[in-house]
Amino acid sequence: MLTVTELQASYGAITALHGISLEVNEGELVALLGTNGAGKSTTLKSICGVLRPVQGSIEFAGESIMNKKPESILKLGISMVPEGREIFTSLTVAENLRLGAYTCYERSRYQQDLKEMFALFPILEERLSQPGGLLSGGEQQQLAIARALMSHPKLLMLDEPSLGLSPTMVDNIFELIGMLRDRGITILLVEQNAERALKVADRAYVLKTGHIEFSGTPAQLEKELDIASVYFGGSKDKSSEVTL
Amino acid sequence: MRSKRTILDAVLDRSTIVALIAVLVLVAFVMNAFAPPVFVDVYTYLCVSLIMVLGLQMFMGNSGILNWTYVGFVGIGAFVASICSTPAAVKAMGVPNMYPALVEINMPVLPALLIGGFVAAAVAAAVAWPLMRLSDAVGVITLFAALIVIHVIMTQWDNVTNGPRTFFGVPFFTTLWIAVIGACITLVAAHLFRESSLGLRLRASRDDRHAAKAIGINVVAVRYFSFVASSFIAGVGGGLWAHYITSFSPKSFYITEAFLLLTMLVVGGAGSISGAFSGTVIVTVMRELLRQLEGWLNNSGVISFEVYGLTEVSVAILLIVILIWRPGGIIGGSEIRLPFARKK
Repeated sequence: MLTVTELQASYGAITALHGISLEVNEGELVALLGTNGAGKSTTLKSICGVLRPVQGSIEFAGESIMNKKPESILKLGISMVPEGREIFTSLTVAENLRLGAYTCYERSRYQQDLKEMFALFPILEERLSQPGGLLSGGEQQQLAIARALMSHPKLLMLDEPSLGLSPTMVDNIFELIGMLRDRGITILLVEQNAERALKVADRAYVLKTGHIEFSGTPAQLEKELDIASVYFGGSKDKSSEVTL
Repeated sequence: MRSKRTILDAVLDRSTIVALIAVLVLVAFVMNAFAPPVFVDVYTYLCVSLIMVLGLQMFMGNSGILNWTYVGFVGIGAFVASICSTPAAVKAMGVPNMYPALVEINMPVLPALLIGGFVAAAVAAAVAWPLMRLSDAVGVITLFAALIVIHVIMTQWDNVTNGPRTFFGVPFFTTLWIAVIGACITLVAAHLFRESSLGLRLRASRDDRHAAKAIGINVVAVRYFSFVASSFIAGVGGGLWAHYITSFSPKSFYITEAFLLLTMLVVGGAGSISGAFSGTVIVTVMRELLRQLEGWLNNSGVISFEVYGLTEVSVAILLIVILIWRPGGIIGGSEIRLPFARKK
Protein backbone atom coordinates (compact mmCIF):
# COMPACT_ATOMS: atom_id res chain seq x y z
CA MET A 1 0.00 0.00 0.00
CA LEU A 2 2.75 2.42 0.99
CA THR A 3 6.20 2.00 -0.48
CA VAL A 4 9.06 4.28 0.46
CA THR A 5 12.23 3.81 -1.58
CA GLU A 6 15.67 5.26 -0.90
CA LEU A 7 14.21 8.32 0.79
CA GLN A 8 16.59 11.12 1.65
CA ALA A 9 15.55 14.13 3.67
CA SER A 10 17.41 16.95 5.29
CA TYR A 11 16.91 20.04 7.41
CA GLY A 12 19.13 22.55 5.67
CA ALA A 13 22.66 21.19 5.72
CA ILE A 14 21.84 18.42 8.16
CA THR A 15 20.81 15.17 6.54
CA ALA A 16 18.22 13.37 8.63
CA LEU A 17 17.43 10.41 6.37
CA HIS A 18 20.17 8.70 4.37
CA GLY A 19 18.06 6.80 1.87
CA ILE A 20 15.63 4.63 3.79
CA SER A 21 13.22 2.12 2.29
CA LEU A 22 10.17 0.71 3.95
CA GLU A 23 6.86 -0.81 3.08
CA VAL A 24 3.44 -0.93 4.71
CA ASN A 25 0.93 -3.47 3.39
CA GLU A 26 -2.82 -3.14 3.62
CA GLY A 27 -4.20 -4.02 7.04
CA GLU A 28 -0.79 -4.12 8.66
CA LEU A 29 0.38 -2.37 11.77
CA VAL A 30 3.97 -1.40 11.18
CA ALA A 31 6.07 0.05 13.98
CA LEU A 32 8.91 2.43 13.29
CA LEU A 33 11.32 2.43 16.21
CA GLY A 34 14.45 4.30 17.09
CA THR A 35 16.02 6.83 19.42
CA ASN A 36 15.62 10.57 19.35
CA GLY A 37 17.04 11.89 16.14
CA ALA A 38 16.89 8.58 14.34
CA GLY A 39 14.62 10.11 11.72
CA LYS A 40 11.27 8.61 12.68
CA SER A 41 9.25 11.81 12.66
CA THR A 42 11.13 13.02 9.59
CA THR A 43 9.95 9.90 7.78
CA LEU A 44 6.32 10.58 8.72
CA LYS A 45 6.55 14.25 7.84
CA SER A 46 7.99 13.37 4.44
CA ILE A 47 5.19 10.91 3.78
CA CYS A 48 2.40 13.32 4.68
CA GLY A 49 3.97 16.13 2.65
CA VAL A 50 4.83 18.60 5.40
CA LEU A 51 8.52 18.12 4.69
CA ARG A 52 9.93 18.02 1.17
CA PRO A 53 12.32 15.07 0.79
CA VAL A 54 15.53 15.57 -1.18
CA GLN A 55 15.56 12.29 -3.06
CA GLY A 56 13.86 8.93 -3.32
CA SER A 57 10.29 7.98 -3.97
CA ILE A 58 7.11 7.56 -1.97
CA GLU A 59 4.26 5.61 -3.49
CA PHE A 60 0.83 5.21 -2.02
CA ALA A 61 -1.72 2.85 -3.59
CA GLY A 62 0.33 2.76 -6.77
CA GLU A 63 0.58 6.53 -7.07
CA SER A 64 3.63 8.67 -6.41
CA ILE A 65 2.94 11.16 -3.62
CA MET A 66 6.41 12.66 -3.63
CA ASN A 67 6.24 16.48 -3.45
CA LYS A 68 2.45 16.53 -3.31
CA LYS A 69 0.78 19.05 -1.05
CA PRO A 70 -0.32 17.86 2.41
CA GLU A 71 -3.98 18.45 1.57
CA SER A 72 -3.82 16.30 -1.59
CA ILE A 73 -2.07 13.53 0.33
CA LEU A 74 -4.78 13.70 2.98
CA LYS A 75 -7.42 13.38 0.29
CA LEU A 76 -5.69 10.26 -1.03
CA GLY A 77 -6.25 8.74 2.40
CA ILE A 78 -3.17 9.29 4.56
CA SER A 79 -3.95 10.87 7.90
CA MET A 80 -1.37 11.77 10.51
CA VAL A 81 -1.58 12.32 14.25
CA PRO A 82 1.36 14.64 14.87
CA GLU A 83 3.73 14.33 17.78
CA GLY A 84 2.75 16.19 20.90
CA ARG A 85 -0.99 15.91 20.19
CA GLU A 86 -1.20 19.02 18.10
CA ILE A 87 -4.86 19.65 18.64
CA PHE A 88 -6.26 23.16 18.40
CA THR A 89 -6.49 24.32 21.97
CA SER A 90 -8.79 27.32 21.55
CA LEU A 91 -11.25 25.46 19.33
CA THR A 92 -13.89 23.25 20.88
CA VAL A 93 -13.75 19.47 20.72
CA ALA A 94 -16.57 19.55 18.17
CA GLU A 95 -14.69 22.03 15.99
CA ASN A 96 -11.52 19.95 16.19
CA LEU A 97 -13.46 16.93 14.97
CA ARG A 98 -15.08 18.95 12.19
CA LEU A 99 -11.61 19.96 10.99
CA GLY A 100 -10.68 16.32 10.65
CA ALA A 101 -13.71 15.77 8.45
CA TYR A 102 -13.56 18.82 6.24
CA THR A 103 -12.41 16.81 3.24
CA CYS A 104 -15.67 14.87 3.20
CA TYR A 105 -18.68 17.10 2.75
CA GLU A 106 -21.57 14.72 3.26
CA ARG A 107 -23.43 15.90 6.28
CA SER A 108 -25.26 12.67 7.01
CA ARG A 109 -22.02 10.75 6.99
CA TYR A 110 -20.45 13.32 9.27
CA GLN A 111 -23.12 12.80 11.93
CA GLN A 112 -22.67 9.06 11.64
CA ASP A 113 -18.90 9.37 11.93
CA LEU A 114 -19.33 11.51 15.02
CA LYS A 115 -21.43 8.79 16.63
CA GLU A 116 -18.78 6.22 15.82
CA MET A 117 -16.12 8.39 17.42
CA PHE A 118 -18.25 8.80 20.52
CA ALA A 119 -18.53 5.04 20.74
CA LEU A 120 -14.75 4.76 20.54
CA PHE A 121 -14.03 7.76 22.75
CA PRO A 122 -16.97 8.36 25.11
CA ILE A 123 -15.11 11.17 26.89
CA LEU A 124 -15.21 13.30 23.74
CA GLU A 125 -18.99 13.34 23.70
CA GLU A 126 -19.05 14.64 27.25
CA ARG A 127 -16.62 17.40 26.39
CA LEU A 128 -17.96 18.28 22.96
CA SER A 129 -18.33 22.02 23.49
CA GLN A 130 -15.25 22.55 25.66
CA PRO A 131 -12.09 24.09 24.24
CA GLY A 132 -9.53 21.40 23.38
CA GLY A 133 -6.98 23.06 25.65
CA LEU A 134 -9.01 22.18 28.74
CA LEU A 135 -8.71 18.45 28.08
CA SER A 136 -6.16 16.32 29.88
CA GLY A 137 -3.18 14.94 27.98
CA GLY A 138 -4.78 11.57 27.43
CA GLU A 139 -8.05 13.11 26.31
CA GLN A 140 -6.18 15.35 23.90
CA GLN A 141 -4.46 12.33 22.43
CA GLN A 142 -7.83 10.63 21.98
CA LEU A 143 -9.14 13.77 20.33
CA ALA A 144 -6.12 13.91 18.01
CA ILE A 145 -6.66 10.29 16.96
CA ALA A 146 -10.41 10.81 16.56
CA ARG A 147 -9.77 13.88 14.43
CA ALA A 148 -7.47 11.87 12.17
CA LEU A 149 -10.05 9.08 11.88
CA MET A 150 -12.78 11.51 10.83
CA SER A 151 -11.27 11.70 7.34
CA HIS A 152 -11.64 7.92 6.88
CA PRO A 153 -7.94 7.33 6.32
CA LYS A 154 -6.67 4.29 4.47
CA LEU A 155 -3.40 4.74 6.31
CA LEU A 156 -3.18 6.21 9.78
CA MET A 157 0.19 7.47 10.93
CA LEU A 158 0.69 7.94 14.65
CA ASP A 159 3.71 9.89 15.85
CA GLU A 160 4.60 8.97 19.43
CA PRO A 161 1.05 8.60 20.71
CA SER A 162 2.21 7.56 24.18
CA LEU A 163 4.53 10.51 24.70
CA GLY A 164 4.03 12.27 28.01
CA LEU A 165 1.02 10.23 29.10
CA SER A 166 0.44 8.53 32.44
CA PRO A 167 1.05 4.75 32.52
CA THR A 168 -2.68 4.01 32.67
CA MET A 169 -3.31 6.29 29.73
CA VAL A 170 -0.48 4.60 27.79
CA ASP A 171 -2.26 1.29 28.36
CA ASN A 172 -5.50 2.77 27.06
CA ILE A 173 -3.87 4.22 23.98
CA PHE A 174 -2.18 0.95 23.05
CA GLU A 175 -5.42 -0.91 23.65
CA LEU A 176 -7.05 1.53 21.27
CA ILE A 177 -4.32 1.10 18.66
CA GLY A 178 -4.84 -2.66 18.85
CA MET A 179 -8.56 -2.13 18.41
CA LEU A 180 -8.05 0.07 15.34
CA ARG A 181 -5.76 -2.57 13.85
CA ASP A 182 -8.42 -5.24 14.45
CA ARG A 183 -10.87 -3.05 12.55
CA GLY A 184 -8.59 -3.33 9.54
CA ILE A 185 -7.11 0.16 9.57
CA THR A 186 -3.56 0.22 8.22
CA ILE A 187 -1.31 1.89 10.76
CA LEU A 188 2.23 3.19 10.71
CA LEU A 189 3.22 3.72 14.31
CA VAL A 190 6.24 5.68 15.46
CA GLU A 191 7.18 4.96 19.04
CA GLN A 192 9.95 5.31 21.54
CA ASN A 193 8.19 2.81 23.76
CA ALA A 194 9.54 -0.09 21.71
CA GLU A 195 8.37 -2.85 24.03
CA ARG A 196 4.74 -1.75 23.89
CA ALA A 197 4.83 -1.03 20.20
CA LEU A 198 6.24 -4.47 19.39
CA LYS A 199 3.40 -6.13 21.25
CA VAL A 200 0.80 -4.70 18.86
CA ALA A 201 2.87 -4.52 15.65
CA ASP A 202 2.84 -7.01 12.78
CA ARG A 203 6.22 -5.86 11.54
CA ALA A 204 8.80 -3.36 12.69
CA TYR A 205 11.59 -1.22 11.34
CA VAL A 206 14.38 0.09 13.50
CA LEU A 207 15.87 3.39 12.45
CA LYS A 208 19.28 4.56 13.57
CA THR A 209 20.69 7.94 12.61
CA GLY A 210 18.83 8.03 9.35
CA HIS A 211 19.45 4.43 8.28
CA ILE A 212 17.24 1.35 8.53
CA GLU A 213 19.07 -0.86 11.00
CA PHE A 214 16.61 -3.72 11.04
CA SER A 215 13.36 -4.84 9.55
CA GLY A 216 11.21 -7.86 10.29
CA THR A 217 8.62 -9.27 12.64
CA PRO A 218 8.72 -8.50 16.34
CA ALA A 219 9.78 -12.10 17.04
CA GLN A 220 12.72 -11.84 14.65
CA LEU A 221 13.64 -8.50 16.11
CA GLU A 222 13.78 -9.87 19.62
CA LYS A 223 15.94 -12.74 18.45
CA GLU A 224 18.37 -10.80 16.32
CA LEU A 225 18.64 -7.47 17.99
CA ASP A 226 19.04 -6.39 21.55
CA ILE A 227 16.39 -3.71 21.88
CA ALA A 228 18.33 -1.95 24.58
CA SER A 229 21.31 -1.56 22.26
CA VAL A 230 19.19 0.39 19.84
CA TYR A 231 18.42 2.90 22.50
CA PHE A 232 21.47 2.90 24.70
CA GLY A 233 24.26 1.42 22.57
CA GLY A 234 24.38 4.60 20.60
CA SER A 235 26.39 5.32 17.55
CA LYS A 236 29.58 7.32 17.62
CA ASP A 237 28.40 9.38 14.71
CA LYS A 238 26.44 12.05 16.54
CA SER A 239 26.97 14.71 13.92
CA SER A 240 24.02 13.59 11.85
CA GLU A 241 21.53 13.68 14.69
CA VAL A 242 18.85 16.26 14.81
CA THR A 243 16.28 16.84 17.44
CA LEU A 244 12.90 16.06 16.09
CA MET B 1 -28.44 12.87 23.23
CA ARG B 2 -26.03 15.71 22.76
CA SER B 3 -25.02 14.65 19.30
CA LYS B 4 -28.51 15.24 17.95
CA ARG B 5 -28.96 18.73 16.65
CA THR B 6 -32.44 20.10 16.68
CA ILE B 7 -33.70 23.27 15.07
CA LEU B 8 -33.88 24.72 18.57
CA ASP B 9 -30.17 24.09 19.02
CA ALA B 10 -29.40 25.81 15.74
CA VAL B 11 -31.38 28.88 16.82
CA LEU B 12 -29.78 28.92 20.25
CA ASP B 13 -26.34 28.56 18.67
CA ARG B 14 -27.06 31.75 16.84
CA SER B 15 -28.72 33.35 19.82
CA THR B 16 -25.79 35.69 20.37
CA ILE B 17 -26.08 37.09 16.86
CA VAL B 18 -29.86 37.30 17.08
CA ALA B 19 -29.55 39.22 20.35
CA LEU B 20 -26.95 41.62 18.94
CA ILE B 21 -29.18 42.32 15.94
CA ALA B 22 -32.17 42.84 18.22
CA VAL B 23 -30.21 45.36 20.27
CA LEU B 24 -29.09 47.23 17.15
CA VAL B 25 -32.61 47.47 15.73
CA LEU B 26 -34.25 48.29 19.04
CA VAL B 27 -31.84 51.11 19.80
CA ALA B 28 -32.36 52.38 16.25
CA PHE B 29 -36.12 52.63 16.84
CA VAL B 30 -35.57 54.46 20.10
CA MET B 31 -33.06 56.83 18.49
CA ASN B 32 -35.35 57.44 15.55
CA ALA B 33 -38.31 58.27 17.75
CA PHE B 34 -36.90 60.18 20.70
CA ALA B 35 -33.25 61.12 20.40
CA PRO B 36 -31.91 64.47 19.20
CA PRO B 37 -30.13 64.53 15.80
CA VAL B 38 -26.71 64.45 17.43
CA PHE B 39 -27.44 61.02 18.89
CA VAL B 40 -28.77 59.77 15.57
CA ASP B 41 -25.54 60.90 13.93
CA VAL B 42 -23.40 59.16 16.51
CA TYR B 43 -25.46 56.00 16.21
CA THR B 44 -25.24 55.99 12.42
CA TYR B 45 -21.50 56.46 12.69
CA LEU B 46 -21.35 53.61 15.21
CA CYS B 47 -23.16 51.26 12.85
CA VAL B 48 -20.83 52.14 9.96
CA SER B 49 -17.81 51.61 12.26
CA LEU B 50 -19.30 48.29 13.30
CA ILE B 51 -19.40 47.14 9.68
CA MET B 52 -15.73 48.02 9.29
CA VAL B 53 -14.69 46.39 12.58
CA LEU B 54 -16.62 43.20 11.75
CA GLY B 55 -14.84 43.03 8.41
CA LEU B 56 -11.54 43.45 10.24
CA GLN B 57 -12.56 40.73 12.69
CA MET B 58 -13.26 38.30 9.86
CA PHE B 59 -9.62 38.17 8.89
CA MET B 60 -7.65 39.47 11.84
CA GLY B 61 -9.72 37.93 14.61
CA ASN B 62 -9.84 34.50 13.04
CA SER B 63 -6.30 34.39 11.68
CA GLY B 64 -4.49 36.21 14.49
CA ILE B 65 -2.61 38.33 11.95
CA LEU B 66 -2.52 42.03 12.75
CA ASN B 67 -3.97 43.61 9.61
CA TRP B 68 -2.76 47.18 9.19
CA THR B 69 -3.63 47.26 5.50
CA TYR B 70 -7.36 46.95 6.23
CA VAL B 71 -8.04 50.69 6.41
CA GLY B 72 -6.39 51.04 2.98
CA PHE B 73 -9.11 48.81 1.53
CA VAL B 74 -11.71 50.93 3.34
CA GLY B 75 -10.22 53.88 1.46
CA ILE B 76 -10.28 52.10 -1.89
CA GLY B 77 -13.95 51.24 -1.36
CA ALA B 78 -14.74 54.81 -0.34
CA PHE B 79 -13.07 56.36 -3.39
CA VAL B 80 -14.42 53.83 -5.90
CA ALA B 81 -17.99 54.06 -4.61
CA SER B 82 -17.84 57.85 -4.49
CA ILE B 83 -16.45 58.12 -8.02
CA CYS B 84 -19.24 55.84 -9.25
CA SER B 85 -22.10 57.65 -7.53
CA THR B 86 -21.12 61.32 -7.59
CA PRO B 87 -22.76 63.33 -10.42
CA ALA B 88 -20.45 64.13 -13.36
CA ALA B 89 -20.81 67.89 -12.96
CA VAL B 90 -19.72 67.76 -9.32
CA LYS B 91 -16.75 65.57 -10.15
CA ALA B 92 -15.68 67.82 -13.04
CA MET B 93 -15.66 70.75 -10.67
CA GLY B 94 -14.25 69.00 -7.58
CA VAL B 95 -11.58 66.86 -9.20
CA PRO B 96 -10.24 68.96 -12.08
CA ASN B 97 -7.69 66.39 -13.33
CA MET B 98 -9.96 63.36 -13.26
CA TYR B 99 -9.78 60.99 -16.26
CA PRO B 100 -12.77 61.81 -18.53
CA ALA B 101 -13.87 58.17 -18.49
CA LEU B 102 -14.23 58.30 -14.71
CA VAL B 103 -16.06 61.64 -14.80
CA GLU B 104 -18.74 60.13 -17.03
CA ILE B 105 -19.53 57.24 -14.69
CA ASN B 106 -22.73 57.80 -12.80
CA MET B 107 -24.89 55.22 -11.11
CA PRO B 108 -27.14 54.72 -8.09
CA VAL B 109 -25.40 54.41 -4.73
CA LEU B 110 -26.20 50.76 -4.02
CA PRO B 111 -24.40 49.29 -7.04
CA ALA B 112 -21.64 51.84 -6.45
CA LEU B 113 -21.11 50.45 -2.94
CA LEU B 114 -20.89 46.89 -4.28
CA ILE B 115 -18.41 47.94 -6.97
CA GLY B 116 -16.36 49.62 -4.23
CA GLY B 117 -16.35 46.33 -2.33
CA PHE B 118 -15.40 44.33 -5.41
CA VAL B 119 -12.58 46.66 -6.37
CA ALA B 120 -11.18 46.54 -2.82
CA ALA B 121 -11.42 42.73 -2.91
CA ALA B 122 -9.78 42.63 -6.34
CA VAL B 123 -6.86 44.77 -5.17
CA ALA B 124 -6.56 42.53 -2.10
CA ALA B 125 -6.64 39.46 -4.33
CA ALA B 126 -3.90 40.89 -6.51
CA VAL B 127 -1.48 41.77 -3.72
CA ALA B 128 -2.25 39.34 -0.90
CA TRP B 129 -0.78 36.02 -2.04
CA PRO B 130 2.84 36.81 -1.14
CA LEU B 131 1.71 38.64 2.02
CA MET B 132 -0.23 35.64 3.30
CA ARG B 133 2.87 33.48 3.24
CA LEU B 134 4.38 35.64 5.97
CA SER B 135 3.67 35.27 9.64
CA ASP B 136 4.43 36.95 12.94
CA ALA B 137 6.50 40.15 12.99
CA VAL B 138 7.44 39.94 9.31
CA GLY B 139 3.79 39.68 8.33
CA VAL B 140 2.79 42.67 10.44
CA ILE B 141 5.57 44.86 9.06
CA THR B 142 4.73 43.89 5.48
CA LEU B 143 1.03 44.62 5.93
CA PHE B 144 1.95 47.97 7.44
CA ALA B 145 4.19 48.70 4.44
CA ALA B 146 1.30 47.79 2.14
CA LEU B 147 -0.85 50.42 3.88
CA ILE B 148 1.84 53.03 3.21
CA VAL B 149 1.91 52.05 -0.47
CA ILE B 150 -1.88 52.34 -0.77
CA HIS B 151 -1.80 55.68 1.04
CA VAL B 152 0.91 57.13 -1.20
CA ILE B 153 -0.99 56.04 -4.31
CA MET B 154 -4.17 57.67 -2.97
CA THR B 155 -2.44 60.96 -2.20
CA GLN B 156 -0.53 61.09 -5.51
CA TRP B 157 -2.97 59.78 -8.10
CA ASP B 158 -4.87 63.04 -8.45
CA ASN B 159 -6.56 61.94 -11.71
CA VAL B 160 -8.64 59.63 -9.55
CA THR B 161 -8.64 60.75 -5.94
CA ASN B 162 -8.02 64.49 -6.25
CA GLY B 163 -4.65 63.84 -4.57
CA PRO B 164 -4.25 64.96 -0.96
CA ARG B 165 -7.09 67.45 -1.41
CA THR B 166 -10.65 66.85 -0.34
CA PHE B 167 -12.98 64.84 -2.54
CA PHE B 168 -16.37 66.45 -2.05
CA GLY B 169 -19.92 66.37 -3.32
CA VAL B 170 -20.59 62.70 -2.61
CA PRO B 171 -24.39 62.21 -2.40
CA PHE B 172 -25.69 61.54 1.09
CA PHE B 173 -27.07 58.01 1.28
CA THR B 174 -26.18 56.40 4.60
CA THR B 175 -29.12 57.18 6.81
CA LEU B 176 -29.64 55.66 10.23
CA TRP B 177 -31.64 52.77 8.80
CA ILE B 178 -29.26 52.05 5.93
CA ALA B 179 -26.40 51.86 8.45
CA VAL B 180 -28.38 49.62 10.80
CA ILE B 181 -29.40 47.25 8.01
CA GLY B 182 -25.81 47.16 6.75
CA ALA B 183 -24.54 46.38 10.25
CA CYS B 184 -27.11 43.58 10.70
CA ILE B 185 -26.19 41.98 7.37
CA THR B 186 -22.50 42.19 8.25
CA LEU B 187 -23.14 40.64 11.68
CA VAL B 188 -24.79 37.64 10.03
CA ALA B 189 -22.04 37.43 7.39
CA ALA B 190 -19.27 37.58 9.99
CA HIS B 191 -21.00 34.88 12.04
CA LEU B 192 -21.55 32.59 9.07
CA PHE B 193 -17.95 33.11 8.03
CA ARG B 194 -16.61 32.29 11.48
CA GLU B 195 -18.58 29.05 11.62
CA SER B 196 -17.96 28.09 8.00
CA SER B 197 -15.39 25.52 6.97
CA LEU B 198 -13.11 28.32 5.75
CA GLY B 199 -13.45 30.25 9.02
CA LEU B 200 -12.86 27.13 11.07
CA ARG B 201 -9.72 26.26 9.13
CA LEU B 202 -8.54 29.84 9.52
CA ARG B 203 -9.03 29.66 13.29
CA ALA B 204 -7.17 26.35 13.35
CA SER B 205 -4.25 27.97 11.56
CA ARG B 206 -4.30 30.78 14.15
CA ASP B 207 -4.09 28.22 16.96
CA ASP B 208 -1.20 26.26 15.49
CA ARG B 209 0.02 26.87 11.97
CA HIS B 210 2.16 23.74 11.83
CA ALA B 211 -0.49 21.42 13.20
CA ALA B 212 -2.95 22.89 10.70
CA LYS B 213 -0.56 22.05 7.88
CA ALA B 214 -0.06 18.57 9.24
CA ILE B 215 -3.78 17.80 9.07
CA GLY B 216 -3.93 19.00 5.48
CA ILE B 217 -4.98 22.64 5.77
CA ASN B 218 -3.49 24.88 3.11
CA VAL B 219 -2.79 27.77 5.46
CA VAL B 220 -1.77 30.27 2.77
CA ALA B 221 -4.89 29.61 0.67
CA VAL B 222 -7.20 29.78 3.69
CA ARG B 223 -5.67 33.08 4.78
CA TYR B 224 -5.78 34.42 1.23
CA PHE B 225 -9.48 33.86 0.64
CA SER B 226 -10.35 35.19 4.08
CA PHE B 227 -8.25 38.29 3.47
CA VAL B 228 -10.05 38.93 0.18
CA ALA B 229 -13.47 38.42 1.82
CA SER B 230 -12.51 40.75 4.66
CA SER B 231 -11.34 43.38 2.16
CA PHE B 232 -14.70 43.22 0.40
CA ILE B 233 -16.45 44.18 3.65
CA ALA B 234 -13.83 46.90 4.12
CA GLY B 235 -14.67 48.30 0.68
CA VAL B 236 -18.42 48.32 1.23
CA GLY B 237 -17.94 49.79 4.71
CA GLY B 238 -15.73 52.51 3.25
CA GLY B 239 -18.37 53.30 0.64
CA LEU B 240 -21.09 53.61 3.27
CA TRP B 241 -18.83 55.84 5.33
CA ALA B 242 -18.11 58.07 2.30
CA HIS B 243 -21.84 58.43 1.58
CA TYR B 244 -22.38 59.42 5.18
CA ILE B 245 -19.56 61.93 5.55
CA THR B 246 -19.90 63.16 1.87
CA SER B 247 -16.44 64.77 1.69
CA PHE B 248 -13.13 63.22 2.64
CA SER B 249 -9.47 62.97 1.72
CA PRO B 250 -6.91 60.13 1.71
CA LYS B 251 -5.74 61.05 5.18
CA SER B 252 -8.98 59.56 6.51
CA PHE B 253 -7.59 56.13 5.66
CA TYR B 254 -4.27 56.12 7.38
CA ILE B 255 -2.55 55.28 10.62
CA THR B 256 -4.90 57.16 12.98
CA GLU B 257 -7.97 55.43 11.56
CA ALA B 258 -6.24 52.07 11.30
CA PHE B 259 -5.31 52.41 14.94
CA LEU B 260 -8.86 53.36 15.89
CA LEU B 261 -10.35 50.32 14.13
CA LEU B 262 -7.73 48.06 15.70
CA THR B 263 -8.53 49.47 19.13
CA MET B 264 -12.26 48.89 18.63
CA LEU B 265 -11.55 45.28 17.73
CA VAL B 266 -8.92 44.51 20.35
CA VAL B 267 -10.68 46.19 23.30
CA GLY B 268 -13.72 43.96 22.98
CA GLY B 269 -11.84 40.86 21.90
CA ALA B 270 -10.69 40.13 18.38
CA GLY B 271 -11.55 36.45 18.62
CA SER B 272 -15.31 36.83 18.75
CA ILE B 273 -18.09 38.77 17.07
CA SER B 274 -19.53 39.84 20.40
CA GLY B 275 -16.06 41.17 21.20
CA ALA B 276 -15.93 43.22 18.00
CA PHE B 277 -19.43 44.50 18.74
CA SER B 278 -18.80 45.58 22.32
CA GLY B 279 -15.41 47.09 21.50
CA THR B 280 -16.96 49.23 18.79
CA VAL B 281 -19.67 50.43 21.17
CA ILE B 282 -17.27 51.16 24.03
CA VAL B 283 -14.73 53.05 21.93
CA THR B 284 -17.38 55.03 20.01
CA VAL B 285 -19.21 56.11 23.16
CA MET B 286 -15.96 56.95 24.90
CA ARG B 287 -14.73 59.02 21.96
CA GLU B 288 -17.95 61.00 21.76
CA LEU B 289 -18.00 61.71 25.49
CA LEU B 290 -14.37 62.79 25.47
CA ARG B 291 -14.95 64.98 22.44
CA GLN B 292 -17.79 66.71 24.28
CA LEU B 293 -15.62 67.06 27.36
CA GLU B 294 -12.75 68.48 25.32
CA GLY B 295 -15.08 71.02 23.70
CA TRP B 296 -16.51 72.01 27.05
CA LEU B 297 -13.08 72.37 28.66
CA ASN B 298 -11.83 74.58 25.84
CA ASN B 299 -14.92 76.78 25.64
CA SER B 300 -15.98 77.18 29.25
CA GLY B 301 -12.71 78.63 30.50
CA VAL B 302 -12.51 76.20 33.42
CA ILE B 303 -8.83 75.73 32.62
CA SER B 304 -6.51 78.41 31.38
CA PHE B 305 -4.97 76.41 28.50
CA GLU B 306 -6.50 74.54 25.58
CA VAL B 307 -6.63 70.76 25.45
CA TYR B 308 -6.14 68.83 22.25
CA GLY B 309 -6.01 65.13 21.51
CA LEU B 310 -7.80 64.08 24.68
CA THR B 311 -9.72 61.43 22.73
CA GLU B 312 -6.67 59.97 20.99
CA VAL B 313 -4.65 59.76 24.19
CA SER B 314 -7.53 58.22 26.10
CA VAL B 315 -8.24 55.62 23.44
CA ALA B 316 -4.55 54.68 23.41
CA ILE B 317 -4.48 54.42 27.20
CA LEU B 318 -7.62 52.29 27.12
CA LEU B 319 -5.89 49.95 24.69
CA ILE B 320 -2.82 49.66 26.91
CA VAL B 321 -4.92 49.00 30.01
CA ILE B 322 -6.96 46.32 28.24
CA LEU B 323 -3.89 44.62 26.84
CA ILE B 324 -2.35 44.41 30.30
CA TRP B 325 -5.53 43.56 32.15
CA ARG B 326 -7.21 41.26 29.63
CA PRO B 327 -5.05 40.58 26.58
CA GLY B 328 -7.89 38.66 24.95
CA GLY B 329 -10.20 41.69 25.14
CA ILE B 330 -13.15 42.33 27.43
CA ILE B 331 -15.30 39.58 25.93
CA GLY B 332 -12.43 37.33 24.93
CA GLY B 333 -12.21 34.67 22.29
CA SER B 334 -15.53 32.89 22.67
CA GLU B 335 -18.95 34.35 22.04
CA ILE B 336 -20.92 35.59 25.03
CA ARG B 337 -23.54 33.10 26.08
CA LEU B 338 -26.90 34.46 26.96
CA PRO B 339 -28.51 33.35 30.19
CA PHE B 340 -31.43 31.74 28.37
CA ALA B 341 -29.22 29.86 25.93
CA ARG B 342 -28.96 26.18 26.67
CA LYS B 343 -25.86 25.22 28.62
CA LYS B 344 -23.82 22.65 26.77
